[in-house]
Amino acid sequence: MKITFIRITFFVLLFSIWQMIVKLGHIPSYILPAPFSIFESFYYGFVTGNYTIAIISSLVRVLIGYFMALGIGIIIGILLARYYILDVTFGRTILALQSIPSVAWVPLALLWFGITDSAVIFIIILEAVLPVTLSTKNAMKNIPQNLIRAAQTLGSRGLHLYQNVIIKAMVPELITGLRLSWAFAWRALIAGELFISGAGIGQTLELGRSLADMSQVIAMITTIGLIGFLTENLFFGSIEKRVRLIWGLT
Amino acid sequence: MTNPKIEFKDVNKIFSGNTKNELILQDINFQIYTNEFVCILGASGSGKSTILGLIAGFIKATSGNVLFNSKDITRPDSSRTLVFQDYALFPWLNILDNVAFGLTTKKHKQNNVREKALEYLTLVGLGNYKNHSVNQLSGGMKQRVAIARALAVDPEVLLLDEPFGALDQQTREAMQTELSRLMTKTKKTVLFVTHSVDEALKLADRILVIGGKPGKILLDYKIDIQKPRDPSNNQLTSVRNILLDKLFQPELFMGADI
Ligand SMILES: Nc1ncnc2c1ncn2[C@@H]1O[C@H](COP(=O)(O)OP(=O)(O)O)[C@@H](O)[C@H]1O
Ligand SMILES: [Mg+2]
Repeated sequence: MKITFIRITFFVLLFSIWQMIVKLGHIPSYILPAPFSIFESFYYGFVTGNYTIAIISSLVRVLIGYFMALGIGIIIGILLARYYILDVTFGRTILALQSIPSVAWVPLALLWFGITDSAVIFIIILEAVLPVTLSTKNAMKNIPQNLIRAAQTLGSRGLHLYQNVIIKAMVPELITGLRLSWAFAWRALIAGELFISGAGIGQTLELGRSLADMSQVIAMITTIGLIGFLTENLFFGSIEKRVRLIWGLT
Repeated sequence: MTNPKIEFKDVNKIFSGNTKNELILQDINFQIYTNEFVCILGASGSGKSTILGLIAGFIKATSGNVLFNSKDITRPDSSRTLVFQDYALFPWLNILDNVAFGLTTKKHKQNNVREKALEYLTLVGLGNYKNHSVNQLSGGMKQRVAIARALAVDPEVLLLDEPFGALDQQTREAMQTELSRLMTKTKKTVLFVTHSVDEALKLADRILVIGGKPGKILLDYKIDIQKPRDPSNNQLTSVRNILLDKLFQPELFMGADI
């Protein structure tokens, strides 16, 4: 309760000071818009439906890329865990992906796919595939041997063993990978969208820049941060916390 | 005489590492009969867990035969359940579902799984805790759940690998008494691994002392003293001396860390 009050006061203060600086300093809105014009931009964006469509299009794009990355990552992860040779060759190579920021893939993606959705999805997959691959691999390798043996000695094997023990034992590690992959996917989405046509948060942001509509630019930046925060921290964060609690890992 | 429940025939076990192969068990021969409570006693690293692993079916003998009801053991099975020192309970299941785990497999599949599990949970005195999660329990309670889980599938042989090794002295003694009571009630063949002489003296009908490098059976001793036993009993004291004598033979003590 007290914290909430302090937070609200903080934001009201922040916006007031911001508004004052812009007004008193006569700062032109194409350099730094006042908070009020950003709220206005949000209002019209949602009333006309432009922002709503942009957000939905982006979410669809990122979800397609994300789930494709999960499918690919889980399969590669299982293969890396099972075949040592694959791990020391291919496995080590894909680690280099980690050092490549998503924008570096843009020229390649545009050449291959043009300024289309596919280009963005391609970038998302490249970015998001690694965390889930690594966590699948680690989860498989780190299943406590005693849990498997305990299950076997109670007569569990084959499908029963997989469904009831192996997969369950992998969950905590996997969730971490799913969260990281999502965070990567979200960042890659925006990077990719800046360069393609169609509806989307990144496109709307880029459009705002070309029209010198800084309110729109900041509105989109806020949207990116807000959706990212809600999904990464609230959604995945709470799932991860719950899992760790149930699995006794706190 | 009836056939032994478990029999080791000239068993050798070599573990092959990256650099060298190590002979862990050499010429192991023994028989265990129905309803016997046998303790395997030895220093840590002497190969006790390896023996249980062979019986459970987790590992295979390098040579020789490990027989269960006169048949070679090829894989783990619920006719021989193992209780681990670190409990190995499934953290994502509550206490009742842990006990019920083995009853959900093809071999034991039935309708009244939860009722049966509750019956065994009650048997170890934890009926009221059925909905608790694993990490809400103390070490002693966890081990009782693990024992209930191992008994629920009605195994012919119960294997326990230093089950009370991680518990404090008081809990440990209470658990020993409880296990003793439970085993007279359920009538199982029991192999109980421990490195504690007193634990073996309290529980065992028969003690196999294992030691040396590679590990061999040094002594196979039957204790004909009624349970529960008085630790200060003269006869028991003399058995204790025999056991300690075997365990601490100087040439065997070299390299063995107790
Ligand atoms: N999977 C394994 N690979 C290699 N060596 C092993 C393996 N399991 C056990 N050993 C070795 O075998 C010896 C006996 O181990 P173990 O049976 O666990 O002894 P105990 O249970 O009596 O303490 C130890 O020296 C141990 O290092
Ligand atoms: Mg051991």
